[in-house]
Amino acid sequence: MRDLHLRLPQGVPVLGGPTVNLETATFILLAAAAVAAGILALLTPEIVHTIIWIGALFVVLGLIYFLLAAPFLGVLQLAVYAGAVTILFLFAVMVIKKRIFAREVRSGVGPVPLLLAAAVAGVLVTLAAQVPARTETGGYPVSILSQNLFGLNGAWLLLLGFLMVSALAGSIHLAREMRTARRPKGVPP
Amino acid sequence: MIPVQVVLAASGLLFAVGLFGILTRRNFILLLISVEIVMNSAILNFVAFSSYASGPPLGAVTGQAIAVVLVGLAATEVAVGLAIVLALNRLRGSIDVAKAMQLRF
Repeated sequence: MRDLHLRLPQGVPVLGGPTVNLETATFILLAAAAVAAGILALLTPEIVHTIIWIGALFVVLGLIYFLLAAPFLGVLQLAVYAGAVTILFLFAVMVIKKRIFAREVRSGVGPVPLLLAAAVAGVLVTLAAQVPARTETGGYPVSILSQNLFGLNGAWLLLLGFLMVSALAGSIHLAREMRTARRPKGVPP
Repeated sequence: MIPVQVVLAASGLLFAVGLFGILTRRNFILLLISVEIVMNSAILNFVAFSSYASGPPLGAVTGQAIAVVLVGLAATEVAVGLAIVLALNRLRGSIDVAKAMQLRF
């Protein structure tokens, strides 16, 4: 236990079982933090606290991507999810709520959703344990990713572009609908 | 080296947390957040399989490429979802999905 920090890079046996190295221990800590942040986000009664926890979850997932040798995706996660999406949620809450720290009415958690989620978690973890062990090959340069993204999978990127444009048109349409819905009767358009 | 099973198990747990949120929350924003958790678990799965894929590098990073597309897709989905939230709030005065029943049969 005394020279744990020296032996961690090589791996330390846990409870007489498989050896756990520093990378795996860090990943397990981050994954536990991510799951805990997700649970807290859904169980906390105030919606602003939910958004803070979901921001924490996105940051932790970005760190996990760095650990899995996907730095570009880690940066994208931090910029798009932890940055933009979290602020978008906060903006929506600020627009909708009169008091942004208003508590949500508890809908009550019945045993069926809890049991179903637990069963799905059990099945997925059991299936994950049966995946054969593989050696990590990651650590490719970003240029390879860009070649893949704009060459091999260029069609998906193009489709995403079309989807974003149609989503923009849909959002504008919803805003226009709102404007006509608010107009009082008898007033010409 | 992180065992691939540990990454997949973490992804499965995140998926279950998101599913629990989808099944229990009636607030539209919380529902969207739960869907985001599920999408993040799927993205984590893609990144994990990309990190452990063998073969030529150009093909091995396909998982990461799909994850990049999925991040954009999720951001688009949030934008449209929040536009629907604003419209729902303006028209009904509430974002409780149980009260939006007009399209139900």
